[in-house]
Amino acid sequence: MTITESDRTGTETAGDGAASTMRVQKRDGRFEAVDLDKIVKAVQRCADGLSGVDPMRVATRTISGLSDGATTTELDELSIRTAAALIVSEPNYSRLAARLLSTFIDKEVQNQNVYSFSQSIELGHQQGLIGDRVLEFVHTHARKLNDAIDHEQNNLFEFFGLRTVYDRYLLRHPELRHVIETPQYFLMRVACGLSTSPEEAIGFYQLMSSLQYLPSSPTLFNSGTIHPQMSSCYLLDSPEDDLIAIYDRYTDVARLSKHAGGIGLAYHRVRSRGSLIRGTNGLSNGIIPWLKTLDSSVSAVNQGGKRKGAACVYLETWHADIEDFLELRDNTGDESRRAHNLNIANWVPDLFMERVEKDWQWSLFDPKKVPHLTDLFGDDFRRAYEEAEAQGLFERQIPARTLYSRMMRTLAQTGNGWMTWKDASNNKSNQTGQPGNVIHLSNLCTEILEVTSNDETAVCNLGSVNLGRLVRVADDGSRHFDFERLGEVVRTAVPYLDTVVDNNFYPTPEAAASNARWRPVGLGLMGLQDVFFQLGMPFDSEEARTLSTRISEEIYYWALSTSCDLSMKHGAHAAFGETKAAQGILQFDLWEGAQVSDVERWEMLKDRIRQHGLRNSLMIAIAPTATIASIAGCHECIEPQVSNLFKRETLSGEFLQINRYLVRELQTLGLWDDDMANAVKRAEGSIQNIAGIPEDLKLLYRTAWEVPMRSLIDMAAGRGAFIDQSQSLNLFMESPTIGKLSSMYVHAWKAGLKTTYYLRSRPATRINQATTGTQTRPGSPSPSPTPEPTPTKSFSDAETLACSLENPDACEACD
Amino acid sequence: MALAEDHNLFESDATTSVPLADEAPVDTSYAGHAKHILDPGFHLTLRPMRYPVFYEMYRDAIKNTWTVEEIDFSDDLIDLDRKITPAERHLINRLVAFFATGDSIVSNNLVLNLYQHINAPEARMYLSRQLYEEALHVQFYLTLLDNYIPDVDEREQAFAAIDNIPSIAQKGDFLFKWMNSIGHLDQLRTRDHRRKFILNMICFAACIEGLFFYGAFAYVYFLRSKGLLNGLAAGTNWVFRDESAHMNFAFEVIETARVEEPELFDETMADSIRLMIEEAVDCEYAFAEDVLKEGVAGMSLRDMRQYLEFVADQRFSQLGLQPIFGSKNPFDFMELQDVQELANFFERTVSAYQVGVSGEVAFDEDF
Repeated sequence: MTITESDRTGTETAGDGAASTMRVQKRDGRFEAVDLDKIVKAVQRCADGLSGVDPMRVATRTISGLSDGATTTELDELSIRTAAALIVSEPNYSRLAARLLSTFIDKEVQNQNVYSFSQSIELGHQQGLIGDRVLEFVHTHARKLNDAIDHEQNNLFEFFGLRTVYDRYLLRHPELRHVIETPQYFLMRVACGLSTSPEEAIGFYQLMSSLQYLPSSPTLFNSGTIHPQMSSCYLLDSPEDDLIAIYDRYTDVARLSKHAGGIGLAYHRVRSRGSLIRGTNGLSNGIIPWLKTLDSSVSAVNQGGKRKGAACVYLETWHADIEDFLELRDNTGDESRRAHNLNIANWVPDLFMERVEKDWQWSLFDPKKVPHLTDLFGDDFRRAYEEAEAQGLFERQIPARTLYSRMMRTLAQTGNGWMTWKDASNNKSNQTGQPGNVIHLSNLCTEILEVTSNDETAVCNLGSVNLGRLVRVADDGSRHFDFERLGEVVRTAVPYLDTVVDNNFYPTPEAAASNARWRPVGLGLMGLQDVFFQLGMPFDSEEARTLSTRISEEIYYWALSTSCDLSMKHGAHAAFGETKAAQGILQFDLWEGAQVSDVERWEMLKDRIRQHGLRNSLMIAIAPTATIASIAGCHECIEPQVSNLFKRETLSGEFLQINRYLVRELQTLGLWDDDMANAVKRAEGSIQNIAGIPEDLKLLYRTAWEVPMRSLIDMAAGRGAFIDQSQSLNLFMESPTIGKLSSMYVHAWKAGLKTTYYLRSRPATRINQATTGTQTRPGSPSPSPTPEPTPTKSFSDAETLACSLENPDACEACD
Repeated sequence: MALAEDHNLFESDATTSVPLADEAPVDTSYAGHAKHILDPGFHLTLRPMRYPVFYEMYRDAIKNTWTVEEIDFSDDLIDLDRKITPAERHLINRLVAFFATGDSIVSNNLVLNLYQHINAPEARMYLSRQLYEEALHVQFYLTLLDNYIPDVDEREQAFAAIDNIPSIAQKGDFLFKWMNSIGHLDQLRTRDHRRKFILNMICFAACIEGLFFYGAFAYVYFLRSKGLLNGLAAGTNWVFRDESAHMNFAFEVIETARVEEPELFDETMADSIRLMIEEAVDCEYAFAEDVLKEGVAGMSLRDMRQYLEFVADQRFSQLGLQPIFGSKNPFDFMELQDVQELANFFERTVSAYQVGVSGEVAFDEDF
């Protein structure tokens, strides 16, 4: 559309005419006529250096949406939203909107007489937000820190990223609700919360403001504040089979989720339905009523107004309440046995998978009769299970395939009921080097695997490297991945993850106890898809898999190496002697057939570790990065893109996102125009059936629905050899069936994966497109004019349907 | 939608059939079954199935089952308390007042006027399902109003909107006019009857579900684009998805009738449709004048008019008529509704997952 087209075709006054009669209300309450010129100039200033954007277009559209007497703040907000909405015609409008927003934020901060970083910290402290230590630190080094602030770095933000920062991350005045820090002050505040010298703080600030690395949301929210709870994930062992223990656990969960932590909670030890309660001579109702209470408790905890609490409950596959458990998320049935806010996950032993394959029976037990099973894995578990079975201790038996099929159905219907494997998780962990150290569950996002017990609540704090910013263009125009810079980023980031272990605020003594012993951290990555787009590698290509594995090897290497350096300085973590690393066994040694690229380098590192120990028992975990990837403007963690065109729904509204790599390539070929944009929209973000797009681009720009899941799983297994915790691996299937799902999850198990995350599917019917000018389903046959109505294909048919992916979930605690 | 743009209802092969007087009874005998979908009677046989498309629509509708309990209104209440301007508050009050009765009217029409005349058991299965969905929507808006309007008197006022608030009463009058037009018919014996029936169906599909609701959805999505009322938006998303399916069903029935009895779709009929949709646009615009009368930044009355015209044009196209307004969509946030969404489970529940999955355990299927 051109500017003239944006003039209204309606009967009333067109664009400019309306402007002269329209008034806005200024901040001081006075009214003033709307001045188109002024708006255009303001937009123009921000558009400097951005190709393809038209400030006039933003200004005229803004005015047309304005009602008489609107405030200047409303006018500003409207111009930002207007610019952001033009992203489809030209991705640079996203940058323009970000800059407009950046100006808007600056005004808001300055209106509170904050003109420097140190003033922002002072105001924050006055208002009871900033901790004393950080105030003193900033006070002492005010000049150095203020000078280091680089507002130019705001230009790196895409609109959605900056919007997220503004809406949720910047500290606000407790009463006025205005933000009191700019995006750059915010990053410097986070850095200062984790530093002891201004050089350190500035180094960390520069790393973050380059968007090459971001710590997880809890660290971004809370670093430097009076409540420095900076860890993302808490893993609680199952409560003991006892009323008081169960209620104590609710309290623990509430405490831990209050300050932005995500909760994983096992329930393996609590007796099943029908079990005798000696104290009252009654029969137990099993775990479901307890989980219903947990559900209410979790949703009641509002994490500082930033978001609601969230938890995932894990249950072993042999627990006699497993079938009820799998129905917790159904939206039909008895509401008193439903828990809509809880996530659920299966903690599956290999023995079960084997029996599914063999089509054998599976025995379900009351944990009261077999309390030892949950503390065993591998061959010990197998023996104990078979023994209990032989003794007839089970409550009942069902065909293993019946239960497996039920699990698959839950995944298809709710996306929940994640498959995580107990034996792979324990056998391939650094923490399980000694008997008694057992992993009982994963976390809210299935990337953390740490030992728990009644005395130890596992804790992990996370951060992610943005790979998307590490591709370099050589002088000859060729592109390569910058491994050297990757090493530097890891070496800079790891000490801060380690510092969080010390500076963190631990809401429960069990969490503090565990962190002191194990000091685990979770360094992850994001923007893998961005790397593949920039290097032109299809997601399922051999070269993509090789590069992905190589990147993970490099991250693991430098993370361990840095942890070893830290150990030389501060000493090894207390339980180092109990780990496999102490015996010279690293993650890839535990994966069958895994190879390293440079054997000698690893041997030297192993020697160094044996000699000096490690500061951290675990280094690597790939979190979903939902929000921090938005902030950094890259694709989430290890995921293929979900769509070339989609929107994000958040607490601050809806935002359009377009694959800017694709648009650039199509622009270069002269193929990007309104028609093409509409075609992509009609196809719900797929380009596979759009005429005129070259085949190599179609291959490269497939969506998660179009890339074979086998390749995704194999790629995950490839990098798994360098991930000592796990990865949040979402799987995508447009129209799931039990057959496809059961094949897929058996393959994932055989590939050696420790955990998987959501199964993402798409709705059966969809909303009619309101604006693309046609109601025709892509690919659907035209109606036939024969007398008998032709059966059109089912809406749920994968081939004919391109329907909307709505609300796939992602965990933000783990970002 | 099965009605593609290039498909013109009014340039059909109507001339090939022998013209009958409009008042004469239609020949309805066909090997013991109803010959046309609009023939009177209660056809009961599902095999062989004459209109599998309706059965598929029924099955798909079931896969998209949702419940009101899944929607979390808690953030909405905070928004209403703290973030809403008085002008937006007025908008919301009018909007929920419309919603309070809108779906009930649709249900009534479905039962009293549509069900008995669509003579195919598979289509009636869909209508039964639709009826349930309408009830679900009524429940949703009931729950919404109970949450949004704590004051009991004020709440009762909102439910009485169809009588009290002129801009809503006007919409009501428009609807009842078309509803009553076939209320007295218990059988569609003549072409005139059938034309009246089709007009009723078009009124409900194109004007109520396809225009009034589209107008109402625009307000909801406008608010959501500003990050407001996520609970309302979440529920509306599901309602919108259902309404889209209802509209598609209705257009499919109309298309079926056209294929079976092309002579029903003559120029007079086309004129009636044009008049009806134009009147609906005026009605909805009058409502918009009321809703937006306090001035809402980002949503001008002029844009709303243009939006309604744009939507109406789409309905004309779907019915094989020339669009008469030539308006473009002015609302960027409505374009957002056409795009896949990606959200965060800390904020909203999932609406994408399917109910009803089939198959057996296997190990060698493609994935």
